[in-house]
Amino acid sequence: MSTHRLRFTLNGTPRELEIAADRLLIDVIRDDCGATGTKLGCGVGICGTCSVLVDGELVSACLVPAVFVDGRSLTTVEGLAQDGELTPLQDAFIRDGGFQCGICTPGQLIAATALLREHPRPDGREVRDWMMGNLCRCTGYYGIERAIMRASGAGGQSDGRGLGGQRPPSLS
Amino acid sequence: MTGVAEATTSILREPEYRIEGRDKVTGAARFAADIVRPGMLHAAYVTSPFPHARVVSVDLTRARAMPGVRAVLTGAETKPQRLGRRLQDWPLLAWDRVLFIGDRVAVVAADTVEIAAAAAAAVDVEYEELPAILDPEAALAPEAPVLHPDAAGYAYLGGGTRPTVPHPNVQGHGIREHGDVDAGFAASHRVYEHTFTVARTHQSYLEPRASLVWLEGDRIRVVTTNKAPFALRQHLSVSLGIPESRIVVDAGHIGGDFGGKGLSIDEFVLYHLARVTGRPVRAVTRYADELQATNTRHAARIILRTGVDPDGRILAHTSRVIFDGGAYAAGKPVATLMPGDAMLTLAGYRVPAARVEAMAVYTNQVPAGHSRAPGQPQNAFAAESHMDLIARDLGIDAFALRERNVVRPGDVDVTGQPWHGTDGAALLAKLRSASRYDDRTANIRSVGAKGIGVGIALGVRHVGRGRASMVLRVTASGHVELHTGVSDQGGGAHTVFQRIVASELGVPLEQVAVIRGTTDAVPNDPGVGGSRVTPVQGSAALAAARALKKRLGDRELEEVGALEVIGEAAQETHEASMYAYALVAEVDPDTCKVRIRQATLVADVGTVINPVALRGQLEGGFVFGLGQAVMEDLRVEDGRVVTANLGDYKIPTIADVPPLTVELLTEDPGPGPFGAKSAGELANPAVGAAVANAVHAACGVRVMSLPVTAEKIWRESRRSGS
Repeated sequence: MSTHRLRFTLNGTPRELEIAADRLLIDVIRDDCGATGTKLGCGVGICGTCSVLVDGELVSACLVPAVFVDGRSLTTVEGLAQDGELTPLQDAFIRDGGFQCGICTPGQLIAATALLREHPRPDGREVRDWMMGNLCRCTGYYGIERAIMRASGAGGQSDGRGLGGQRPPSLS
Repeated sequence: MTGVAEATTSILREPEYRIEGRDKVTGAARFAADIVRPGMLHAAYVTSPFPHARVVSVDLTRARAMPGVRAVLTGAETKPQRLGRRLQDWPLLAWDRVLFIGDRVAVVAADTVEIAAAAAAAVDVEYEELPAILDPEAALAPEAPVLHPDAAGYAYLGGGTRPTVPHPNVQGHGIREHGDVDAGFAASHRVYEHTFTVARTHQSYLEPRASLVWLEGDRIRVVTTNKAPFALRQHLSVSLGIPESRIVVDAGHIGGDFGGKGLSIDEFVLYHLARVTGRPVRAVTRYADELQATNTRHAARIILRTGVDPDGRILAHTSRVIFDGGAYAAGKPVATLMPGDAMLTLAGYRVPAARVEAMAVYTNQVPAGHSRAPGQPQNAFAAESHMDLIARDLGIDAFALRERNVVRPGDVDVTGQPWHGTDGAALLAKLRSASRYDDRTANIRSVGAKGIGVGIALGVRHVGRGRASMVLRVTASGHVELHTGVSDQGGGAHTVFQRIVASELGVPLEQVAVIRGTTDAVPNDPGVGGSRVTPVQGSAALAAARALKKRLGDRELEEVGALEVIGEAAQETHEASMYAYALVAEVDPDTCKVRIRQATLVADVGTVINPVALRGQLEGGFVFGLGQAVMEDLRVEDGRVVTANLGDYKIPTIADVPPLTVELLTEDPGPGPFGAKSAGELANPAVGAAVANAVHAACGVRVMSLPVTAEKIWRESRRSGS
């Protein structure tokens, strides 16, 4: 197996690695760079838990060879918060029940970050079309949609065509 | 200090901010597969390609010669060790016969995952194929080959002896009878019998199971995705013959469980590999192996027979439920060796006389184990479809039939015991108004809408039982630390505990830290499962806070210095709560594709502690149930799982979920802290029947099996000419 010298930036930090040509991006991120926030789920590009951004483009890291990112800029979940300050999306995921177990959450956040860059004020349909490639087994997706809506400035409310815009139940 | 009552309500009224939230949204939360050790090796298995075969020979020559391979073990080295949660019937590695496709014959430890996989592929195994039993009915034939001839020698954990079974291929069996069943049927106006089938499904947590084992002095250290670390410690101890005191289990964040991660199948051989190589060894399951070779939900065949009076009131009921248990019973933790609610065949109704029979049967299929509300989705689908069919035949509105029969406190239900739980009539009344059932059905009738219908279904779930304890410490600076063995599988347990303790002590949330400990650092804990965490472990947290308050007397936390108390709780009585759905379905007349337009869920949850997490459990439970209702089918052909990836085994995406309205009943207090009940397994089981009933209302076609797919509706409509 041939080896390659791979240069890229991971969350803004330049990296240089000598890797075998058949190494997958997910393994290089997790094993070689120690950035374990990105998770391996189905391993065949269906579930979206390994979603990362390559020059801002949404990519399943379990599908592409690591050499794919040579000379490019890679963003993982660890690169979202700046100086310890959560992004509005990260904060909304906590407030609106956007996660439970948390295993799909890095991928959901990466995908939703890309969505809000493309559509800063998405409606429910745009959210569901965009987020279809990120499976979640815990939340039933309602909390994820609420969180994305809140972060986009819609105040945690869906647009009514969505999954329902109720607030969390409270004691009364 | 603030008054306790005031502090309690003010903390519980605010939506919670998850303790582990920051770690989970920044990627800092570490799961088992994220943990590495210096010198760590990777494991890969050699598995059977046959559903039933004799292992004639295993040749390791080629595999052992490969560079980077550090150890290869076969069943000859681990014999006679077996694993299991209650009945230890699953060999660590098969040495004699393999009992399903995916059964393990050998294991490799190597420097990399790739080398381990290549070496496993280089192990040459010679098999002699044996006749496979792929159908539970065939397994019960008098002359059927016995799959576990040595069952008498299997360890049966938890005290007592294994219940006797009517056929050697039965894993577990139960019969329960109350009232005069024959007289009830004799007095019946009509007697209905229907047969239902339910497909095998998978829990489909998105984190494949992972484990890492190494030796540290005489200690065996285990990092795992198992959600019940103390139980795993016991299983390891019994299987390996090592005292529990030498085993330390560490189960932190778990990436989804849904019942499946109570069974461990890797840690046992990893110990042997670590012992032989002197190095840490890790196994991370490929998702294909998750779907092919772990413990699924049981497929089932359910026959219900019910006699009613002219008004549709139930007079007598019998049932026979056969669960396909697969090759091993190891995944089932309950004493009966059946899914937990195997015998709850007509839940939620007044049943004056019943005879219920259920069994789980050995076959050469994927082993079945526990999955969210074990046994209930199967039985609830059958029962609530059955009730709908009875209502239709009698010409009684499906809602009215349920109102006439629904259980109220003091009534005897299908278990033969007086019901003490939700007032079913109040629940149905709330569902009728919340779902606007009368308006919707009248509208559909008045506009003559074709292909749209409303289906209802109700469900019952016990509030969790068991014993738990926790340690509450006050530090010298007056901070409070709750030390618990409860892992975080996503339900929000640690935040529940924090809010309970802070509420009871009347201190700010930030003053209470929740610290999860390994099995050597905290009191024994029963683990996450059985709808237990809020009522049982939550009660232990409350007991600890109350014990601390007693010790404090009039003193402030900052004045007492370091202090430690233990909180213990036991919830042994049977308490239950109820929920119900009204679901609007639309069936395309040409393609028979089902679209759920809207769903309403009413759930009796008692006092709410974590409002955001509670809602998430109910919403997530609905979608979990919806998957099983309309798409999930772990298909097996000739013993081989053919839906072996998440593209073929379909679970719901965000595009598949309909608008959902959730209404809560909170007035009736449960046995949990401050009157809480359970929510984790409350919402999923009844969805299948709600869909089948809505489809029938929409297009006149009855589907008697789960999942309810377009293909089945189409086939059935052609058959019945609807």
